[in-house]
Amino acid sequence: MKNIKDIVPFWKRSVPVRREEYEPFGLFRQEINRLFDDFYRGFDLEPFEKRLGTFTPSVDVSENDKEVKVTAELPGMDEKDIDVSLNKDSLTIKGEKKEEKEEKKKDYYRMERSYGSFSRTIPLPVEVDTDKVKAEFRKGVLTVTMPKTAKAIEETKKIPIKTE
Amino acid sequence: MADETKEITKKEAHTPKGTEQISARRLFRPDVDIVERKDDIVIMADMPGVGKDSVDITLENKVLTIYGKVDAEIPEKHKLYISEYGIGDYQRVFNINEEIDRDKIEASVKNGVLKIILPKSEALKARKIEVKAEVAEA
Repeated sequence: MKNIKDIVPFWKRSVPVRREEYEPFGLFRQEINRLFDDFYRGFDLEPFEKRLGTFTPSVDVSENDKEVKVTAELPGMDEKDIDVSLNKDSLTIKGEKKEEKEEKKKDYYRMERSYGSFSRTIPLPVEVDTDKVKAEFRKGVLTVTMPKTAKAIEETKKIPIKTE
Repeated sequence: MADETKEITKKEAHTPKGTEQISARRLFRPDVDIVERKDDIVIMADMPGVGKDSVDITLENKVLTIYGKVDAEIPEKHKLYISEYGIGDYQRVFNINEEIDRDKIEASVKNGVLKIILPKSEALKARKIEVKAEVAEA
């Protein structure tokens, strides 16, 4: 989108302002997009292209002083179909969610669940101890717990803020 | 277009008209597959985080309600910094139009998927009358 300043030549401001104010049309567009999203939601529909395609699990990442924890929602999968690998600075979760064979070629009233293979790589904020990583799969939720290395814990420095 | 990935974003459940929610927890509407087989109807709902002891299924008149409770998974002192899915319970309500044999409903939970088998009632099966089409005269 063209910057408003290119269209309106006398638009000059010397004071720094917040970014959004420079792009009133950007905001307007966002608002319209949001309205459309709400509209579809109201009818229980998703935009068409979202209904097609394969499975991408959602993840949550949390941390405390000692460890980083990644959880992923993988309903309907077996632990043997999930592949978790770790390298220096990222965690990769791969797998394939298979359609249940017995139900194939039947009369479907509704098909909302999705299937297919996926791969997600999650960047890690700190160095973790790769030997002590634990992965657990319960109730369709994968939890990977990664302890931070002693070095990483040490390096977290608190910076004091001085006052006059 | 078919290889486009689908983001699994959980949808908030609708609170039935005229009722208010009293808990602060979020309530999601699980994605379901519904299949009709010869003798039964199968409902499969994705409810990650729900175990077999935390599901509640009720059938009242023709309304089937499923409810799954999720134990909060964020441990204390953990700071969440990527959050793509919300934590909350699941609820969904179905209207069942077929006659169902209520005593033989089976439900199971495996890997976060709830599977309910609703057998069609024997009476209904016996009552079905075949309608033959008349052969059109040439």
